[in-house]
Amino acid sequence: MTESSTSTRHEGHARHDRHAIALMGNPNTGKSSLFNALTGARQKIANFPGVTVEAKIGTTRFENSELTIIDLPGTYSLAARSPDERVATDALLGRIDGTPKPDGVVIVLDASSLDRNLYIGTQVLEFGLPAVVALTMLDVAESRGIKIDTEKLARTLGVPVVVVNAPKGVGIEELKSTLHRTLHHPGKRLELSYPDDFKRGVDTLHAELCDLGVKLGFTPTRPEALRLLVDGAGPFFDECEEVGGEEWTRKFFEIRDRAAAGRSLSMLEAQTRYGAIGHWMREVKQAEAREGRTRTDVVDGILTHKLWGSLVFIVVMGLIFQSIYSWSGPLMDAIDGGFGALGDWVGGMMGEGALKSLVVDGVIAGVGGVLIFLPQILILFLFIAILEDLGYMSRAAFLMDRLMSRFGLSGKAFIPLLSSFACNIPGIMGARVIEDRNTRLTTIFLAPFMSCSARLPVYTLFIAAFVPQMKLLGFLELQGVVLFAMYWVGVLFAIPTALVLKKGILKSKVTPFLLELPSYKMPRPRAVGRVLWERGGSFVRRAGTIILAVSVLVWAAGYFPRSAELDERYDAEIAAAEGAFSEVVVSFDPEADSESTLAQFKAIDDAHEERTSELEGEETEVETATAESDKQREAEIAELATKHPAAFTDYENWQKLEEQRSEIENRRAGEHLENSILGRMGHVIEPAVEPLGWDWRIGMAAIASFPAREVIVATLGTIFNLGGDQDEESQTLREVVQNATRPDGSKLFSLATGLSIMVFFALCAQCAATLAVMRRETNSWKWPIASFLYMTTLAYLAALVTFQVAHALGA
Amino acid sequence: MSSQTLDKLPVGASGTVLDVAGEPALQQRLLEMGVLPGVEIKVVRFAPLGDPMEIKVMGYSLSLRKAEAAHVTVERA
Repeated sequence: MTESSTSTRHEGHARHDRHAIALMGNPNTGKSSLFNALTGARQKIANFPGVTVEAKIGTTRFENSELTIIDLPGTYSLAARSPDERVATDALLGRIDGTPKPDGVVIVLDASSLDRNLYIGTQVLEFGLPAVVALTMLDVAESRGIKIDTEKLARTLGVPVVVVNAPKGVGIEELKSTLHRTLHHPGKRLELSYPDDFKRGVDTLHAELCDLGVKLGFTPTRPEALRLLVDGAGPFFDECEEVGGEEWTRKFFEIRDRAAAGRSLSMLEAQTRYGAIGHWMREVKQAEAREGRTRTDVVDGILTHKLWGSLVFIVVMGLIFQSIYSWSGPLMDAIDGGFGALGDWVGGMMGEGALKSLVVDGVIAGVGGVLIFLPQILILFLFIAILEDLGYMSRAAFLMDRLMSRFGLSGKAFIPLLSSFACNIPGIMGARVIEDRNTRLTTIFLAPFMSCSARLPVYTLFIAAFVPQMKLLGFLELQGVVLFAMYWVGVLFAIPTALVLKKGILKSKVTPFLLELPSYKMPRPRAVGRVLWERGGSFVRRAGTIILAVSVLVWAAGYFPRSAELDERYDAEIAAAEGAFSEVVVSFDPEADSESTLAQFKAIDDAHEERTSELEGEETEVETATAESDKQREAEIAELATKHPAAFTDYENWQKLEEQRSEIENRRAGEHLENSILGRMGHVIEPAVEPLGWDWRIGMAAIASFPAREVIVATLGTIFNLGGDQDEESQTLREVVQNATRPDGSKLFSLATGLSIMVFFALCAQCAATLAVMRRETNSWKWPIASFLYMTTLAYLAALVTFQVAHALGA
Repeated sequence: MSSQTLDKLPVGASGTVLDVAGEPALQQRLLEMGVLPGVEIKVVRFAPLGDPMEIKVMGYSLSLRKAEAAHVTVERA
């Protein structure tokens, strides 16, 4: 039946011999490594609209034909309770736009648990597509005393069987040639012996579905009628109900009741399939009764042991968290520093103006803002890929399920949520290990509640500025306690959110936690590397563009409109300041005039600066080293000054002028910002943020930090005329924040304001990257928008309560 | 021999599945995973926090929650 379709469908292409092949089978069967062995690097991720799972598409060649391989998500059955589970059937039948209709299918079967693997095998074979069985893990099976007669298996199933070992490259060519042959001589449809009344029910329903076909937009097949009859629910059922109306639903349940005749149809299906499988296996499989434990049993005896298992788990989780949280630091600093230097370098070659600002502050800073997340993403996925490959991920879920199920989640949600404390983005991406759609969506929604490291600068600044240094109960540092509390704010709000989500919109009647604990395998470096490459690339390509766009947009809002009058006023002020100094002082440029005597003075100061800026260690040591360096500087300057007394005076004047210039420039930047769209937005929202204890400046900084939370620190630096290069540990910014006043002269910030800002930033969704990744992982804008609105509302209300209560208490 | 629900079986106990009940989606999942009448199963262990449990069925290890196992009736060997 498919022989003709292969040649007609690809008309218009020069090659007449092109085929699409679907790869199907259980999870943990070696399906992905087979796909990789077949397609090598020639693969891309297929986008399936409306679902959160993905498939990969790759190509391979055999003689002069080209095979497009579609690697469908691993699944135990074609029964579809959610849109995600429906994908396999839809893809198999070529009903997904942009994904070719398969001309044949490779059913991947794990020889070490062949019975269970054959369950979906029988389901797929009922579709009657040309099929080849790829039998994997034969070595594992043999080590357990299981012998499979592959010839008998092929005869029984009526399709060719090829033994493959993808990591070793065994059977790949044979699989291709067998596929090639099979596509031209399709096998026959598998017929299982269901009871007659059930078969009649399937036929009747199939006829009804065909009548509905016009409205559905496709002609349903008989195996789909069987699925629908048994499942009696799911996305396909909803679709039929929608186009068929009540009349159809009534008829459907009439047919179903008649076919069931009081039996459970699921039970009937399972018994028929496993009955046939059991029958075949008596011919095909020889299992030596082997006493003794397998290697996996022995390892599991430790890794899921009450004491040892829990200990290993804690160590592994600690390692993951520690690595994302702190080991990524140097890499992130390098990226940050690299893009800062790039910005300076490019900026140095461009004239002042909007274009320079766009390139440096918009584009380069934006690209840097995307790449800065890569180290954390790659480190997390390094662990996830190794643990997944090893088989430990399902054990971790086994250990944590009890705890997580209390919040309506599953054990698999633990690692994504833990990672979210370091950075929400890898956390959200890590949620893909959760098979159940609703649990996955809940986990993705909860991830931004975990206090990530980008919130830390906000906490650091305001805690240092407003929380007094004192001890609670004699040993607890109050500042530390507040910081600790900030980390719990998110968790505190995440728990009820999880419960509401799982009881409300993401309710599934039950989310069965049936989890296969696969046998342990050695992680394969190439497979791990591939995961890293895919995840990193997917983040940069798909989320990166959105993040970059948002960065540029916010840059523009903070830059425009640019008042020429304002610039003239400040230019005049600078000119006035320069008027007080001689020409030599005004025009001195340390880089251009590096040969001059003035530059020699500057070099001494630079050297001193360099010696002292990187000092670390004990406070007293730092002080001593600083004093020493200072002494050295004094001596060098004095020596040079005796030689060139006039130049020394010029140098001192130049320093004064530089100070004045930078003070004027900072004021200019501040006023530009106040004038900009962003500044005006700050004024507009001032009445709304007033009850939080904020003024327009803080409101504006909060808006400006939409691309990333930590931006608030730099924005506050600019608006308080310190320039944009402030960081959270800057002494001056801390002092300025402590001393900032409102127009009436009262203090702008207090402990209450500080707490309200921290609570707001703990709960808000101010991170374009998180929202972009959420969009990418859920394949819909619905989730990031819902997340942003929900979290912003929550953050606002919590900050409101925090400020009002703290204020009333006199903080 | 006595029949009881799977969640009540102690570690190391084995038996034959008599019936699989429960809400349709759960029942179907259990059946698909090979937990169906006539199949032999063995309780391997319980998780450190007491739930879920691990069983051996059809030659592989399956983890399920006790609340789910409660829908599986087993004839103890």
